[in-house]
Amino acid sequence: MAIEIHPLGQFQIERLIPIHIGRLDVSYTNSALLMTIVVVLVTALLVLGTRKRALVPGRWQSLAEMSYEFVADMIDTNVGHGGREFFPFVFTLFMFILFANFLGMIPYSYTVTSQIVVTFALAAVVFIGVTIIGIVRHGFHFLRLFVPQGVPAPLLLLLVPIELLSYFIRPFTLAIRLFANMLAGHTMLAIFAGFAASIGLLGILPMGIDILLVALEVLVAALQAYVFAILTCLYLSDAIHLH
Amino acid sequence: MSEGRPPDPLGRLGEEIERAQAQRVRKEPIAGDRAALQGGLGVGLRIGIELVVAVVVATGLGWAIDRWLGTRPWGMIVLFFLGVAAGMLNVYRAVTGVSAAAGYGRRPESGAGSKRWDDEDC
Repeated sequence: MAIEIHPLGQFQIERLIPIHIGRLDVSYTNSALLMTIVVVLVTALLVLGTRKRALVPGRWQSLAEMSYEFVADMIDTNVGHGGREFFPFVFTLFMFILFANFLGMIPYSYTVTSQIVVTFALAAVVFIGVTIIGIVRHGFHFLRLFVPQGVPAPLLLLLVPIELLSYFIRPFTLAIRLFANMLAGHTMLAIFAGFAASIGLLGILPMGIDILLVALEVLVAALQAYVFAILTCLYLSDAIHLH
Repeated sequence: MSEGRPPDPLGRLGEEIERAQAQRVRKEPIAGDRAALQGGLGVGLRIGIELVVAVVVATGLGWAIDRWLGTRPWGMIVLFFLGVAAGMLNVYRAVTGVSAAAGYGRRPESGAGSKRWDDEDC
């Protein structure tokens, strides 16, 4: 009995509702479906969870409140003064990635964040937004970010390009970190699952590994959402509190 | 607890609110063991990819510039080394806790990043 194993098959994009505008393919895909589910679930959690406005929160309300406080704390400690006005953005970002990662853990669902298009779009929004905030807040003074202080002029010739590069690399690291973690983790899960299916009774061993990997992946799913949000906070704090 | 404070309750309340608000913002980054673990894991996962991406992106950029301006291979060579430097800079900043920020103009005594937002910063 030969079992076909495609560890990467899980990342296949399928057009559920083909839509074409001119030469543009804007079909509703399985990836878009998962994103819709993520948005609906997050909204439902927050809207339904806080509907009762109980003084002593129930299960759902405390879940909503915990996620609120978690992000609010993150912003307070990492952005500090003046960071609260960006709470909605960071919170949305965090909840979206968190739910997308967790939904991807459900067998036969789809991991949206394993697509670099998605993660790069998120990272680009962060990067462009932060840059605009910095320029609006500080004007041309913002460019001082790239000019180290107290450095002799000849060295500036070398240091300014390095600073520029390290700044413009931010969206790439942000996007690739999330994408690579999700892609690698889910591929690994599929490969070990494939082993388990194909070697019969001995398959118990890879299956055991897979169970441990699932636990690891749950951790990674939460942690990557956290890392993405915390880096957004750090970038924001750079733009707001220009040193 | 009456000396040197406004006598009216409203003024006292205002004072207390101000103090509470100040405390909210000035919370230390590392509040406890759990926060430390979280932060440590966060930093660890962050820096892993930092160096690689910096080098790859910079080299790719160099390659693109070469193609565009026909300066092969100088753009790629120069940007490769700049990318290595930028990647190391990013890793160094992530590890020393002075955020992944660009720019050197911060207070020198900010040390391990523990008292970053305490004072006169903004």
